[in-house]
Amino acid sequence: MSFSRRSNRLVPGIAWVTYLFLLVPSLIVIPISFGGPGEMTFPPRVWTLDLYRQFFADPAWWGSLIQSLQIAVLVTLVTIILGVPAAYALQRTNLPGGKILGGLAMGPLLVPVVVLALGLYLQLGPIGLVDSTWTVVLAHSMLALPFVMVSVGAALRHLDPSYEQVALIMGAGKTRIFFKVVLPQLRAGIAAGALFAFLISLDEVIVAYFITGTDTQTLPVKMYSALRWEVSPVIAAVSTILTVVSLTFAIGLMWLERKDRHD
Amino acid sequence: MSDTKPYLDRWTGLALLLPMAALLAVFFVLPLARTIWQSVYEYGFTLRAYEMLLTSTLFWKVLQTTFAISFTATIVALLAGYPVALHLSRLPPSRRMPYLVMVMLPFWTSILVKSFALIVLLGYDGIINNALSFISGQDIHIPMVFNRVGAILGMTNYLLPFMILSILSSLLTQDVNLGRAAEVMGASRFTIFRRITLPLSMPGVLAGVLISFTLSIGMYITPALLGGRQDMMMANLIDFYTRQTLDWPLASAIAVVLLFVSGVLVAMLGKVRGSAGMREMSR
Amino acid sequence: MQPLIKDMIRVTALTRTYGSFKALDAVDLSVAPGEFVTLLGPSGSGKSTLLNLISGMTEPTAGKIEINGKDATNQPTNQRGLGMVFQNYALMPHMTVFENVAFPLRVRKMPKSEIETRVRDVLRLIQLDHVADRKPKQLSGGQQQRISLARCIVYRPSIILMDEPLGALDKKLREDMQLEIKRLHAELGITMIYVTHDQEEALAMSDRIVLMRKGRIEQQGKPEDLYFRPDTLFTADFLGSSNLLKGKINSTARSLDTAYGTFPLPTARSDEPISGEAVLMIRPESMRLVSDKASAPGAGLEATVRDSIVLGSFVRHFLELPGGKRMIVQEPSGASISRPARGSTVRIGWDLDDARLLPTDPDFQNV
Repeated sequence: MSFSRRSNRLVPGIAWVTYLFLLVPSLIVIPISFGGPGEMTFPPRVWTLDLYRQFFADPAWWGSLIQSLQIAVLVTLVTIILGVPAAYALQRTNLPGGKILGGLAMGPLLVPVVVLALGLYLQLGPIGLVDSTWTVVLAHSMLALPFVMVSVGAALRHLDPSYEQVALIMGAGKTRIFFKVVLPQLRAGIAAGALFAFLISLDEVIVAYFITGTDTQTLPVKMYSALRWEVSPVIAAVSTILTVVSLTFAIGLMWLERKDRHD
Repeated sequence: MSDTKPYLDRWTGLALLLPMAALLAVFFVLPLARTIWQSVYEYGFTLRAYEMLLTSTLFWKVLQTTFAISFTATIVALLAGYPVALHLSRLPPSRRMPYLVMVMLPFWTSILVKSFALIVLLGYDGIINNALSFISGQDIHIPMVFNRVGAILGMTNYLLPFMILSILSSLLTQDVNLGRAAEVMGASRFTIFRRITLPLSMPGVLAGVLISFTLSIGMYITPALLGGRQDMMMANLIDFYTRQTLDWPLASAIAVVLLFVSGVLVAMLGKVRGSAGMREMSR
Repeated sequence: MQPLIKDMIRVTALTRTYGSFKALDAVDLSVAPGEFVTLLGPSGSGKSTLLNLISGMTEPTAGKIEINGKDATNQPTNQRGLGMVFQNYALMPHMTVFENVAFPLRVRKMPKSEIETRVRDVLRLIQLDHVADRKPKQLSGGQQQRISLARCIVYRPSIILMDEPLGALDKKLREDMQLEIKRLHAELGITMIYVTHDQEEALAMSDRIVLMRKGRIEQQGKPEDLYFRPDTLFTADFLGSSNLLKGKINSTARSLDTAYGTFPLPTARSDEPISGEAVLMIRPESMRLVSDKASAPGAGLEATVRDSIVLGSFVRHFLELPGGKRMIVQEPSGASISRPARGSTVRIGWDLDDARLLPTDPDFQNV
């Protein structure tokens, strides 16, 4: 709440300039993508679906979209399957190296991505592991892990350990407790982590650019290469598809956070 | 927690942690170690790569460009972001949501999409130049992209959500009654801002600046797509040596320098965050 | 010629609504120079709204505010010349104690030397001159609140508003601070408007208590007036405990017919109910346990002793009338006191004019 009842126009005025600068680059691709194939203007002179036809007519484009979606789904599964038990173990044991491992899992967030991309390229190139879908999946999983650990870790910190104690006293086994008592209460945190992982993978360029080849090219890599050579209008359609998917997931995330606060 | 027995025994804990630890070992620790090793090893231990860096005019120029662009983009993000954080902090929480969505939007859109959009907006025949030409009736082609301005605008757009949220969090921890008390004591709006709001938000500003600068110096896509030929940054130079000249030790040495600089920045950030955290706890 | 200022603050028909909720409903109030007025009431009664309207932090929906004889209804907060003390002290965490107290003087662009002397003087007045260079967070809650008082006094506002200033302190400290605030009020002669929900604090500190209920003033007056001569059930209930007997007025016999007997009415007041239903209120300390023969009003009221406890200087008897109604009687204690046994039957009496006849109130059905 503002401390004064008298409103001030200066701050909102300046703020709106920034809001526009934040908003326009993210959204302007949408109207442009419905324009004609030979021009990139706003507002478009004609409204057509030509750019989308162009996109789906080219297997290199939609193939890389399929590849990206596939990788993102796998990354989501991998990070959840690895991250949730690990986050749980970090909260419920006191292993000597636990703190270090927990910190290490945050590492990918702190290291410049290009350094990781180079390291992966140097490490995996000579042993022939680049240009493989699973390599990209695991590399992206490493990048997404901190986000999953944070969302699941936060959910775990809110989870009162006495639920598990009570269940234990009532005679339940720890595996059963994990699946029947712990996991259901972590649902929102896991869902948030999963959405994060999916989005991180879907939008990731640099690592994928270093370690994919023509067979495994993701949509962002294809897009980056295309942008470097010529700015063709079909990219507006690609951008819109990517933005719509990202925003759908982001809205999902915000909805989850909101729901979490109200519960 | 310390005096009671942990809920999970040691072996269960290890078993649960092992898969994640393996992923981190193979895809995070090893590649980093490999980079460091590669920077000093070519058929035996050598400092050739670092010696080359010291004498390379290209490297020094890129280093200078990296810092100049990162610094400018950070300052622009600070100047553009502070009013937004202030605006958000003064909104009642119930009305803050739609504005926060606008702030977070660039965070969720792909950097490629934003780069593409900025090219279309700012280009030689871009939307803004066309609009200006239309309004003025003259042929206007202000160069705003494929040069330093483009790189800085693209990076600022990327940095703003981080900057705004960092400042906002320190503005929101301020006690509303401080402003009220000052107002009752006769202070003007400007005095309240200068003597209370601004100094109390400095931890957030400092954290925002450090985060932005750390993110900036590692930027790859934006300078490559929106910058000019002479605006190559460290990340682009790493790519150049990796793929164009195939000089992996040199690429690794630059990566190690980048790693070191961001390490220092992250450590500073930890310190700032730590003291801000202490302040909140003492409340 | 300057008009004679009679009221430091005068609010007329002051109203503040939030949607359909009336936080303050056409309140009139005047405060004389140098007066210590307490706004007392439960949460949501409008006492804080009234304070915020006076300070200018809330805008009135209707009505008028005059400060020092001038219309201040639309005056910005920072031009009203007020002082204010907050419950959480609102000391600037990044400034030293000295800087905090100097802040209002710097705002007024006072010369440096004068700032120095005035800050030192006021810190000496509250006996905290030795902490001038510390940061507020290094001090105890009581010390912080004294600094926040000093920050108010230093620029000599004609009125100081206090919003539950002692709410965050523990009981012992609260009592010390009450005395400190009273001392400063007596020494400096500043008009004070004090908001609290603590009836004991209000009774202890005020020249006048304004009791608020649902956005209106329920009753105002000296502490003893409100305590011993409440006009409504709400006032009687909010300040202290009371014994209530509901019945029907018999105006010819000047008595009240209740389920527990017929009792004579106290000497008539102009504003009391004269017919229909009414409630007789007697404070526990106005009641006595009496012998059979006594002729005091209520002497026919027989009660069973539930418990009887010694609370130091007085004894409190918890009694039950036939039908389950609870009564409390409080008597002075002494070494020779004999407490009635639990379960025994006693008789209750009181002085006729210590009782109060009050109108019934839909919010107090279970009397």
